[in-house]
Amino acid sequence: MKNLGLVFFPAFDWLISPGHPEREERLLYTRDQLVEEGIFDLPCIKEYRPRLAEICDLQRAHIGVPNIGKLITPAHLTSAGGCLVAADAVMKGETKKAFALVRPPGHHAMRVVHGIRGFCTINIEAIMVEYLRSAYGVKRIAVIDTDVHHGDGSEDVFYHDPNTLYISFHQDGRTLYPGTGFVEEAGTPGAWGTNINLPLLPSTGDEGLHRLYDNLIARILDEFKPDIIVNSAGQDNHFSDPLASMNVTAQGYASLNKKINADIAVLEGGYSVEGALPYVNTGIILAMAGLDYSQVLEPDRSDLRHQDKRCNERVDELVTQVGRLWDERDITREKLLKACGNTFSRKKNIYYDEEGIREQQIETIHYCNDCEGYMSIKTDATNTRFGSQNAYIIVLHRGICPKCRQVAYDKALQAKKGRQAQYVLVQDIETGIIEEL
Amino acid sequence: MLLGIDVGGTYTDAVLIKDKVILAQGKSTTTHGEVLKGILAVLDKVLENQPVETIERVVISSTIVTNALTEGKTSPVDLIVMPGPGMNIKTSFPIEPQIITGYVDHRGKITAPAGTKEVQVKEKNVAISGKFSVRNPENEHLLANTIKEKAEKIFLGSELSGELNFIRRTNSAYYSATVADTFDDFCKHIENSLKERNITAPVQILKADGGTLPITAIQKQPVDSIFTGPAASVLGIMALTPPKVNCISFDVGGTTTDIAFWENGKPLLAKNGASINGYPTAARAFHMRSVGIGGDSIIRKESGGFTVGPERFGPSMAVGGTKPALADALVVLKLVDYGNYDKACEALKQFADANETVEEVAKKVLEVALVTIEKVIAEMLYEWSIQPVYTVDDVVKGTEFVPSEIIGVGGGATGLIDALGDRLNLSTSIPTGGMVANAIGAALAKPTLSASLRADTTEGFYIIPESDIHERIPSGFGLAKATDILEKELDKKCAELGISKQKAEVIASEYFHTMHSYYEVGEIIYLRMQLQPGILFPIEGREVVF
Ligand SMILES: [Zn+2]
Ligand SMILES: [Zn+2]
Repeated sequence: MKNLGLVFFPAFDWLISPGHPEREERLLYTRDQLVEEGIFDLPCIKEYRPRLAEICDLQRAHIGVPNIGKLITPAHLTSAGGCLVAADAVMKGETKKAFALVRPPGHHAMRVVHGIRGFCTINIEAIMVEYLRSAYGVKRIAVIDTDVHHGDGSEDVFYHDPNTLYISFHQDGRTLYPGTGFVEEAGTPGAWGTNINLPLLPSTGDEGLHRLYDNLIARILDEFKPDIIVNSAGQDNHFSDPLASMNVTAQGYASLNKKINADIAVLEGGYSVEGALPYVNTGIILAMAGLDYSQVLEPDRSDLRHQDKRCNERVDELVTQVGRLWDERDITREKLLKACGNTFSRKKNIYYDEEGIREQQIETIHYCNDCEGYMSIKTDATNTRFGSQNAYIIVLHRGICPKCRQVAYDKALQAKKGRQAQYVLVQDIETGIIEEL
Repeated sequence: MLLGIDVGGTYTDAVLIKDKVILAQGKSTTTHGEVLKGILAVLDKVLENQPVETIERVVISSTIVTNALTEGKTSPVDLIVMPGPGMNIKTSFPIEPQIITGYVDHRGKITAPAGTKEVQVKEKNVAISGKFSVRNPENEHLLANTIKEKAEKIFLGSELSGELNFIRRTNSAYYSATVADTFDDFCKHIENSLKERNITAPVQILKADGGTLPITAIQKQPVDSIFTGPAASVLGIMALTPPKVNCISFDVGGTTTDIAFWENGKPLLAKNGASINGYPTAARAFHMRSVGIGGDSIIRKESGGFTVGPERFGPSMAVGGTKPALADALVVLKLVDYGNYDKACEALKQFADANETVEEVAKKVLEVALVTIEKVIAEMLYEWSIQPVYTVDDVVKGTEFVPSEIIGVGGGATGLIDALGDRLNLSTSIPTGGMVANAIGAALAKPTLSASLRADTTEGFYIIPESDIHERIPSGFGLAKATDILEKELDKKCAELGISKQKAEVIASEYFHTMHSYYEVGEIIYLRMQLQPGILFPIEGREVVF
């Protein structure tokens, strides 16, 4: 078995718009570096090409309005497909680990999709996580997001799922897009404590990051006992990134990756396309392949500063505060569930920065003693490329009991009859089939 | 008149071609360890009574580099590398390298100058290679200059390949340096021997990519003349019966079967260079595989069943050999008609169980050979199908190779083709081939040359690493202008090397709008052009009887 399966897909013909950070040459210099290093010839690495994901793969994680097919391009099917290929390589035992070094990225895409947010239309990790469950029956999955931005899309998809641990460290939302990702966002009652946000102060570097990992993240990952660990390997914590203000180096990223020991890594953001990506990606690939990465250094380190002394203080606060939250998760969960009864609702205002879409959402979880239950979502969006649109959505969780299924369907039919929404949709997470009533 | 010589593992062949007709052909046994001896023997056969002064060109396809490596006729080399930061490369090369400071980044900027004071040269032959030297060869040149008094033969990575891949360029430089003495010696002997026979025509050497180069040029890159047998075989097929549809060709020789893929009448080139002893190099070759199955492949019966090849112990028993070989099975099944049928039956009889006929044994043997070949074809199809794709367009369209026909050449092909076609569900054809197809391929091979241009308009320069050109970008620059510049450069190189001017084709191109900050806009253009491998003209007739 080879050490690492590598799906490298730079999408040289895909961009969001001219001049956008998500443009054709984002991985050009990375490609040059990897080819020049001879990475693709290494006997311990097996290269894979991406395949096109199917619509049902997307629909296990997403409900597109009016439908997901109208919102994506073949590029999205390819980057999602690249993640599925990486998952297959690991699950079929062809390689020990896999890295989907693909674009377009996905961690800002939420469950309901009306358009593009934060460079993302579909959430490629979430699609992969649901695929791991449907295709391979994997139960417990940990996703650790090392992008500098809070992965609000991933949080949204995993928020109610006690079997998915989502850990995101990021530059504090008060200083960076998307402005969320605070400690208090820890999951809905049934999944309290499996959404871990770790907002860091700007200028945090390798030192602070590893302090956080060693003193907190490592323990949480360990205690969650995941069957599979996924790394959302964003690289914009790098000191040269133009969109953020952190001080992490290629060495910092590579050694963190080694500690995380992820089964599958997926590229997310990172927009220092010349000064960071070639080196961070080389470092991560070598670390995942079990090779020596100690010589991977940026030739230009003039932008690297020492982290502010308050950075470690923030880290220590997080270690205490989130450590307690994690330790008390079972008691808190019980308390919250008791308080909310059979249903839990949350209201969300979502802004799609790429397209200026405003969405209002009410998401209600219906708990059941016999099964995972179901969810109902009312979504209302203005300024989409289809104008204003709204939908009533029922989400059937895996292994839903016949009784819940019946109740859920009745709700959908009622909504249809009462013309409560333009679109009435029923999503079956297990199969990825969405029925429009 | 064109003279072609092919040194194979078993035989050395030569042909003389005039006006698209084969005038003479000859065969001699390849003498192990003495390649030259076989060449001279066959030369004297073919040139008998021929007007040697009308020979316009001599092309040699030989195993000299392969043999030098397998027989250890190599010279010690100082391998000096400038890897800079990155992967640990201590064990990436056939010998331990001398690691020197010096680094060029991916945009060709020197971030650390070559550590000229650190270099220690002990050997006469030196290979020098730096990471990203194709983006800027200055550090390599600086080192070469520093040691030029101490070393005799210096090979630079940037001169061996204009393409990215530091490890492959370094290995190419190393192997070139280590076989250089043996190769130069061989070239000198060839030139002298031809002179003695009054042949003054230019001598060219075949490369693995199916193209030729004059001796003086190939001496700067001897590693590229490794594995030329399969290339000669492909060119031979092109000369005798160029395939028209997408197809798979298999050339069954004495010890091996060479398999190649064809698209629109052209053999496919491998996307990566060949590997030598497991070390990847930049030496380009066709997308081909040699399988150890040939007419003379020995048959053995083991506990798990029959095995065929990869060894050969002389000819099959049907033609006077002493050990049963694959050809005997083909004779028994009446799939080929040569040699002595009874001898072939006798050869297989020793394997027959009680109540088993020799035909049944032959069928089992044939099955083993077919399974082996089929497996390799499947692997080649898979390798082609997983080659990286970098654009959405390629993913959507797919880049699979879909053959519609399989063609067989060489002595044993008739015996295998129908069964192989059935298994692969492809139509079959057997061109009326020659027994000296490889030598014909060599005789008619066109020269190949390639060069690449990379322009970065924000830097304001373009480079052509193969020619060590680093020039300011002229006004009105774009893809068209870049093509024009590169075409002219290839023309110039043809003139320098004394090879006829040919139209170069673009084999790779990339074009990017770049932004280095929010307002600074530039372009990156990458272009690679090649005089494509091929033949000067197809054979239309022959004066000799095969
Ligand atoms: Zn990001
Ligand atoms: Zn239920």
